[in-house]
Amino acid sequence: VKKRSVTVAAVDVEALEREAQGAVTAAATLDDLEEARVRYLGRKSDLKQALRGVRDRDSGMALNAARERLEASFDARQAELERAQLAQLDEALDVTLPGTRLTRGRLHPLTQLTREIEDIFLGLGYEIIDSREVETVWHNFDALNQPLTHPSRSHRDTFYLDEQTLLRTHTSTGQIRVMESRKPPIYIASLGRVYRRDTPSPRSTPNFHQVEALAVDRNITLADLKGTLMHFFRALFPGDRQVRMRTSFFPFTEPSVEFDVTCFLCAGEGCAFCKHTGWFEMGGAGVVDPAVFENVGYDPEGWSGFAWGLGIDRIAAQRHGIPDIRMFWENDLRVLRQFG
Amino acid sequence: MKVPMSWLREYVPVTVPTRELAERLVISTCEVDGIETRGVTDVDGNLALFRVGRVLEAAKHPNADRLQLCQVDIGEGDARQIVCGAWNFGAGATVAVALPGAVLPNGLQLEQREVRGQLSDGMILAEDEVGLGTDHAGIMVLENGIEPGTPLVDVLPLTEEVLELETGHNRPDLLAVYGIARDVAALYDLELAPPPGSDPARAADEPVDVQIEDYEGCPRYIGRLFRDAKIQPSPVWLKARLLAAGMRPISNVVDVTNYVMLALGNPLHAFDFAKLAGGRIVVRGAKPGEKLRTLDGVDRDLEPYDLMIADGERSVALAGIMGGEETEIGRETSDILLEAANFEPYTIFRTSERLRLRTEGSNRWEKGVDPYLAEQSAKLATALIVQLADARWTGDTDVHEQLPDRPVVQFRPEKTDAVIGLETPAEQQYAILRRLGLDVNGDVVVPTWRARDVTREIDVVEEVARFRLDEVPARLPTREAMFGRLSKLQRIRRKLQDTLVAFGYVETYSWSLLPDDPDPKASRLQEPLSSEQAVLRTSLLHGLLSSARRNVDAGNEDVALFEVAHVYLPSGEQLPEERLHVGGIAQGGFAAAKGAVEGLYEALGVEPSFEPVDRSAHTPEGWVRALREPDLPGQWGAFELDVEAVADRVPEVVVYEDVITYPPVRQDLAFAVDENVTAGELVAAAQSAAGPELRDMRAFDVYRGEQVGAGRKSIAFSVAFQSPDRTLTDGDAAELRSRIVQVLEQEFGAELRA
Repeated sequence: VKKRSVTVAAVDVEALEREAQGAVTAAATLDDLEEARVRYLGRKSDLKQALRGVRDRDSGMALNAARERLEASFDARQAELERAQLAQLDEALDVTLPGTRLTRGRLHPLTQLTREIEDIFLGLGYEIIDSREVETVWHNFDALNQPLTHPSRSHRDTFYLDEQTLLRTHTSTGQIRVMESRKPPIYIASLGRVYRRDTPSPRSTPNFHQVEALAVDRNITLADLKGTLMHFFRALFPGDRQVRMRTSFFPFTEPSVEFDVTCFLCAGEGCAFCKHTGWFEMGGAGVVDPAVFENVGYDPEGWSGFAWGLGIDRIAAQRHGIPDIRMFWENDLRVLRQFG
Repeated sequence: MKVPMSWLREYVPVTVPTRELAERLVISTCEVDGIETRGVTDVDGNLALFRVGRVLEAAKHPNADRLQLCQVDIGEGDARQIVCGAWNFGAGATVAVALPGAVLPNGLQLEQREVRGQLSDGMILAEDEVGLGTDHAGIMVLENGIEPGTPLVDVLPLTEEVLELETGHNRPDLLAVYGIARDVAALYDLELAPPPGSDPARAADEPVDVQIEDYEGCPRYIGRLFRDAKIQPSPVWLKARLLAAGMRPISNVVDVTNYVMLALGNPLHAFDFAKLAGGRIVVRGAKPGEKLRTLDGVDRDLEPYDLMIADGERSVALAGIMGGEETEIGRETSDILLEAANFEPYTIFRTSERLRLRTEGSNRWEKGVDPYLAEQSAKLATALIVQLADARWTGDTDVHEQLPDRPVVQFRPEKTDAVIGLETPAEQQYAILRRLGLDVNGDVVVPTWRARDVTREIDVVEEVARFRLDEVPARLPTREAMFGRLSKLQRIRRKLQDTLVAFGYVETYSWSLLPDDPDPKASRLQEPLSSEQAVLRTSLLHGLLSSARRNVDAGNEDVALFEVAHVYLPSGEQLPEERLHVGGIAQGGFAAAKGAVEGLYEALGVEPSFEPVDRSAHTPEGWVRALREPDLPGQWGAFELDVEAVADRVPEVVVYEDVITYPPVRQDLAFAVDENVTAGELVAAAQSAAGPELRDMRAFDVYRGEQVGAGRKSIAFSVAFQSPDRTLTDGDAAELRSRIVQVLEQEFGAELRA
């Protein structure tokens, strides 16, 4: 069938389409293209006016087909121009300019270390215990086998609310409360605030934080304590940490030891930080004293356990090189924001 | 406890280098704070430059009235000429000389020099110049007969290494050089010398009147009487030992009591016998209203439970803690009553604690001193007083009731293995125990000096364990159950912290103790360190405000702070109620703070509700408010929530809700209401009128102006209608909307604007 030129209402469709296609090709910018679109496909364009005036099917179909082809061309050209523009923008993008700043807060460095410690304990299969801070003399001293003459009971060292009530001096209180309320086996780490009547100084504050671990099970030995310490500190500090135990005295453990970990500055070579011993003093530990088990109603012949603890603030300060432990309580954003 | 090595070696022949000994002690006996080298340093032949000399000639310096010009034989053939400023010697005296090149303990290096035109080729030494005493009144005159040229170190303890030990509360036996020697002997399997001191012959048999009224507080009192004592400075060896052990020499008799305490561990006291009324000693509780001026010049108010040493009339010493000023040994004293007693720990502790008076004596008594030690201590002191004060020992009494027997402990060597996790053959265990003075014959019999500390099988186990600590292997417990999981509250705490951090809040830590608390019943300390930290807080707000102020003062920007911590609420019982709270403070006023609270509730999946109270909004678990603080410029808001209370409402699991199949119909509705009507009231009324199909109704704009008239405001809400089981039609939405419009009009006179 020979294509006939259709003329509707004095419009040469073919010529119009040709002209419009030419304008599409010629449009160099999105603005040019939009201008052409208004001219050839807008409400007042010849094509639209012709479509409004159409009376017969053939010319209607021809006009519509032309409109569809033109719209497709416009869209295709628009996509092409947009791609080109994006490419241009990419070229103009200075990727070294800062991004839009989002406000983000910070966890306190003590929380960050506390969480790390908690997570290591969770990995070792321990529960985390939060216990009350205002305590009875029983939970803080008596149940822990603390002799009446122990200096820590003194009003100079401990904050009392009355003769029977005090601010806990260690997190061991949480261990007593757990043992009073359930039967072994027990694997817990008790973390939180403790209080000692120390005048604030670069090395001590009257509030600070401790973690104390307790394991009670069948056949727990000093060797289990040593292994647990070793794995804990290898998780906390990178490297091949060794643990050394030294004899000590705590009323609630027998035997009692203090434990040192390979110095984390010199890796055991000996430096000023570890007083040239190669060891860093970490905390106290021991095998749970049978008197403590008797105080909480456990049979000391059937169960055995170990306990160990350390101060969190001191380790956080040393780890981050913070010269004065009181800075943890000053809450200066210039300090806190350093700990991402 | 400072232990001079030369003193230690008097009791045990330990030859390992001091550093090595320290390392062994650290593992098995006690902490070692350090090794102090005192006196003349022993490097580069320095010690050899200190010699014994004999003064051949001594005459006034030709050009200086106050100086002597001496010729001193130091065994070199030719005498050396030395200029000296002291006059307490003359020709023939045996003296201590330092030669040119010698370095004194204070770092000064001697050299040959001219003094007023005369060559001085060395220095004649005073005791303070070589750390052997504090006296600088004259030079040291040594006993005659020592060959000139003898190295001085052979005659005087010129150089000394001192172990600085920190001993455990359970080991009062280690607060004595002899006690340390006993542990060292056991560690190295060396022979221990017998305890020092034996009684000289007694010169007379005078009665000594000692009466104990409180045997519980004072189980034993040995009183010894001495006549015609000459109070004078101690000899150099004694001064040197006291100084090295950290005590100042005073005079011979007082120095002897201190020396014996350091040697054996039993604190002693010496009274001026002439000043004891009736020549008596009575050990009793203080009388009501009684006072005593102690040696330090302080008047002490006494309580009836204070154990006193009294004479026939009044108290003369705080037993075991400090002597009284009136009966103190002085230059004029000639008759002495020596006290070698034993006091009960808690009695001493209680008084020393109340009086805030801690002394070398109280420190030992409160740890528990072996009552059998009094006798040995009396012997050593007696021998030294007779020798050094040229006194006559004329009377002796030993008052005590039955002294405690040595503890007998049942001991199973296999128990040691079970505790340590390391096998130690029974014979090896017994050998260790015997070296420590424990008798092993089936049961274990504990020596008196360990009777307080070793009373149970586990205590015996520890004695073996401490010898093997460095051999303990590293193992892990064999487990039958595992529990490694955070509790619900712990997980919620972390989520709250993380959410606030995401909102831009920085976490703070504040003291639990405040100067005061708005709640008058808040728990108060008996003895606060300062008035700044006296009361336990019932809210986190105070700490947050201080932190905010500090940051504003420092010029820090974007201040948004939070804390998660306990508060301590009065409960009417012994222990306050402790609750875990989260609190925050931020720039941006009320809306910023409330946004954070809403975000926290959303993070936990809990629907908040806010009740206006004064100018704050209260939720069931806390509050949000705008802050009006003169020192916090700009708009600030704060909030505080009880985490445990919110946690109770946190669902265990999130249950899926279908909001996709039947999409919501959204509309904006604006109502004009009187100023006093709140958005919250409108939402609550709308919710109850429309029911659950009103899924969400949120105020997004408040308009005041001409169009709504004075005293009125228009609140615009974005509303979503949605049903979980069908698509709501336009008709359904119109119906819901008209119910809302109706109820708001009825209840609040609300007028729908759009």
